[in-house]
Amino acid sequence: MTGPRFLDVLGRNPSAAVGLALICGFVALAVAAPLIAPYGPFEVAFGPDRSVPRLAPPSARNWFGTTNQGMDVFSQLVWGSRVALTVGLLSALGSVVVGTLIGLVSGYFGGWIDDVLMRLTDVAFGIPFLPFALVVIAMAEPSLGLVILLVIFFLWRTTARVIRAQTLSLKERPFVWAARAAGAGHWAILFRHIAPNVLPLSFLYVAVGVQTGVMLEAALSFLGFGDPHAQSWGIMLNAAFRAGAMRTAWWWVLPPGVALSLFVMAIFMVGRAYEEILNPRLRAV
Amino acid sequence: MDPVLALEGLEVRYATRQGEARAVDRVSLALAEGECLGLVGESGCGKSTIARAVMGILPPNGRIAAGRIRFRGQDLATLDPERSRELRGRRMALVPQSAMNAFDPVYTVRAQLDEAILAHGAMAAPARAERIAALFARVGLEIARLDDYPHQFSGGMRQRAMIAMAMALDPDLIVADEPTTGLDVVVQDQILQHIRSLHREQRKTMLLITHDMAVVAENCDRIAVMYGGRAVETGDRAVFERPLHPYTLGLCNAFPDLDDGGRALISIPGAPPDLVTPPAGCRFAPRCPFAENHCSEAEPALLEVEPGRHAACHRLDRIEEFRRRARDPDTWQTERKS
Amino acid sequence: MGGFRRYLLRRLAQAGFVVWCILTIMFLLFKLMPGDPTAIFVDNNFTEDMIQRQRMLWGLNDPWWVQYLRYLRNMLLFDFGHPFFQNESVAEIMLDKVRNTCLMIVPALLVSVVFGTLIGAYAGWTRGSVFERAAVATSLVLHSVPSFFVGILALMVFSYQLRWLPPGGMVPLGGPDTLWGMLASPDYWKHLVLPGLVLVSREITGPILLLRSSMLEVKGSDFLDMLRAKGLGEGRIVVHATRNALLPLVTYVAVMTGILFQGQVLLEIIFAWPGLGRELVQALTHLDFPVAQAALYLMALVTLALNLIADLLYGAIDPRVTYE
Repeated sequence: MTGPRFLDVLGRNPSAAVGLALICGFVALAVAAPLIAPYGPFEVAFGPDRSVPRLAPPSARNWFGTTNQGMDVFSQLVWGSRVALTVGLLSALGSVVVGTLIGLVSGYFGGWIDDVLMRLTDVAFGIPFLPFALVVIAMAEPSLGLVILLVIFFLWRTTARVIRAQTLSLKERPFVWAARAAGAGHWAILFRHIAPNVLPLSFLYVAVGVQTGVMLEAALSFLGFGDPHAQSWGIMLNAAFRAGAMRTAWWWVLPPGVALSLFVMAIFMVGRAYEEILNPRLRAV
Repeated sequence: MDPVLALEGLEVRYATRQGEARAVDRVSLALAEGECLGLVGESGCGKSTIARAVMGILPPNGRIAAGRIRFRGQDLATLDPERSRELRGRRMALVPQSAMNAFDPVYTVRAQLDEAILAHGAMAAPARAERIAALFARVGLEIARLDDYPHQFSGGMRQRAMIAMAMALDPDLIVADEPTTGLDVVVQDQILQHIRSLHREQRKTMLLITHDMAVVAENCDRIAVMYGGRAVETGDRAVFERPLHPYTLGLCNAFPDLDDGGRALISIPGAPPDLVTPPAGCRFAPRCPFAENHCSEAEPALLEVEPGRHAACHRLDRIEEFRRRARDPDTWQTERKS
Repeated sequence: MGGFRRYLLRRLAQAGFVVWCILTIMFLLFKLMPGDPTAIFVDNNFTEDMIQRQRMLWGLNDPWWVQYLRYLRNMLLFDFGHPFFQNESVAEIMLDKVRNTCLMIVPALLVSVVFGTLIGAYAGWTRGSVFERAAVATSLVLHSVPSFFVGILALMVFSYQLRWLPPGGMVPLGGPDTLWGMLASPDYWKHLVLPGLVLVSREITGPILLLRSSMLEVKGSDFLDMLRAKGLGEGRIVVHATRNALLPLVTYVAVMTGILFQGQVLLEIIFAWPGLGRELVQALTHLDFPVAQAALYLMALVTLALNLIADLLYGAIDPRVTYE
């Protein structure tokens, strides 16, 4: 993807430019969290007179008010961005790597390997994710690592199918025959010739992966099955919900939800713009 | 008798990113009752555009910029959309390019033929079935195939079904746009036979559009040669036997002549003209082996050279000599730069 | 037709295989889970004897492969045993919950697919129009906002602040408890509005965006020009185009149903809707495993069934599909 073309797409899709800016904002927030957040994620924001400001509305001291336990909502929001980015990136990368590998191997070698791997993906597709994840987490200890693993397990199937289809069509292209005629081995062909052509598509699924990963972590946390040590936005919403804060403390409920929405929307926009580059037919005239 | 179809100074333009392309530039033609007029020319010369303009199905970026299209006296260009729609399919019908997937893949062929009939008035199912069966029989297709889907038909069968559909309401005019392009030779011949029978036995007025001189030579009463959006030569079969325009000479050369088996196939070097900013003077001058300076300065008018024969060339006086020289491949070797 | 029958059998076998995998995974999970299932009930008053008797009652002392086979048989026969904490059999409880979940999912699914198709097709057909841009923009936003957040917001605004709609539950206590009774009661509909709309707002974005891009592809088709040349009106041509644009939707609906349960679980919690999702979460929170198992199993079955139906439906709609 050349420079001018990238700018071209951004120009046509102002939403993608906004999305990119938002993502940079979130990354900055996450990286500079210790500097930006006045309090720690689980720190009680004691008042000047050592009082605990429970459910205090937004003020100069607590920009987004406080929770029912007197913690600063703004700080929690900032720390939450770290969880979102971590979960998003790790689960996306993990699922794309796994999915791409499986898709490549399955599509290229075909035969019984393909059959077995595709059976596995079918099974994966048949399991409704959220209920299954809930059961697994209930059995073990809720932890961020487990959530990430579960998301990878859920996400690889889509990438695998798409990459496999792409590999199947690439396999028959002349440049592959040429490589084979020149005596290249299977793995060399797969990784030096086919993989690079498939990677742009994989990349698209990184965007999908980040969105889904963050949404799923939020959903699991909201239901009370998330990692209690990670102050994610989903956990914040769970705490608010359990404390019955919806009736009154809008300052506790809105920020994490809006943050989640903006984050996902930003990735979605960028993903769509990227998809437009890959598939010119979707471009507006 | 009034012509069935008359184009008067027709101009059709397409809006493109580079500007407005003059796909059809002041073309005047007439088609008499029962006549088959062949429009010949290479891709991009405007013949398909004429077909679409006549049928009223120009794409959204196309428009009739000037001139008239008279169908039995009525100007189609200024007709309101509803009246226009009534004519389409009913009084004039299209047989599209065979390369197109002109049938809707998710409906049966019968359903689509029914639809063609019902678009212009009610007809009870039994009557329709009878009519469709007759139409199919006429083009040599099995009735049983009516309930198949288009993808189950071969290319030749699809074209025959298209012909049947075009005849469904017995139109006055049939516009056949490259009906045999893309089909293999044997099938081409079959289709042409059906088209010929439409013309000769059923006395249908036809506008036959093709890039293939041989097709036109076999099937048409009159021929119009187009280049760069303009008509450069018109006439009857003599156009093929004794061409008056250098481009026609080139076209005739490009197709094998069974009688003259030893003759080399000669193609015309160069590319079609830019339709957004056409060259000054004669459009063909840049590629014409007989052009001289004057040709690139003033555009030749379409003049009546003999009764019923028109040509647009500055050098008509030398045409006998050109005909001889056109046979020699060397004549066409050097591509003249404008 | 032989091809179709063979395809059907193959798909059924596939589905069966998936079910078996799910059941086995669940069985392994329950077995590998740290801790002893009886530990929940056991307190210091239980003697070793009583513990052993409890274990025997639950078949926990049999060799694992016997437990496995018994487990499979029970699951396949929908004999879920008894919950740890309630008196009715799990199967009876599940039946109610399944019905309740369907009472929310089915209307939402229907509305999403039907209206999503109409909106998406029209948006694609009138490309570049204000309608199209608005439809796409709205869909993009609704797609990104987590559905449970929308649910919370909806509750906050419409229930708590404006007090237009009830804050949760399906029907008030003492209300009708049969399927038709509920469908007929205005209370059910009043309770359905909020969670239903939230679910629809999320699910409708898929069909809208999909139909739109599908329609854009169809618009470039040759046969549309031919339809115009036949003298058909714009309306009929749009119908033709839509019929063609529908094809990818059928496959998508299969994917959609898989994700549907996600939104469903979350919304059932937020709106206290007594369905399968809520039952699952509550059971897991109380470590009531028979109920949790049954809920997961049923959800998987429904997902597979819908996938299969969508698969077969695709073949029925697109005449070009052949069964080899």
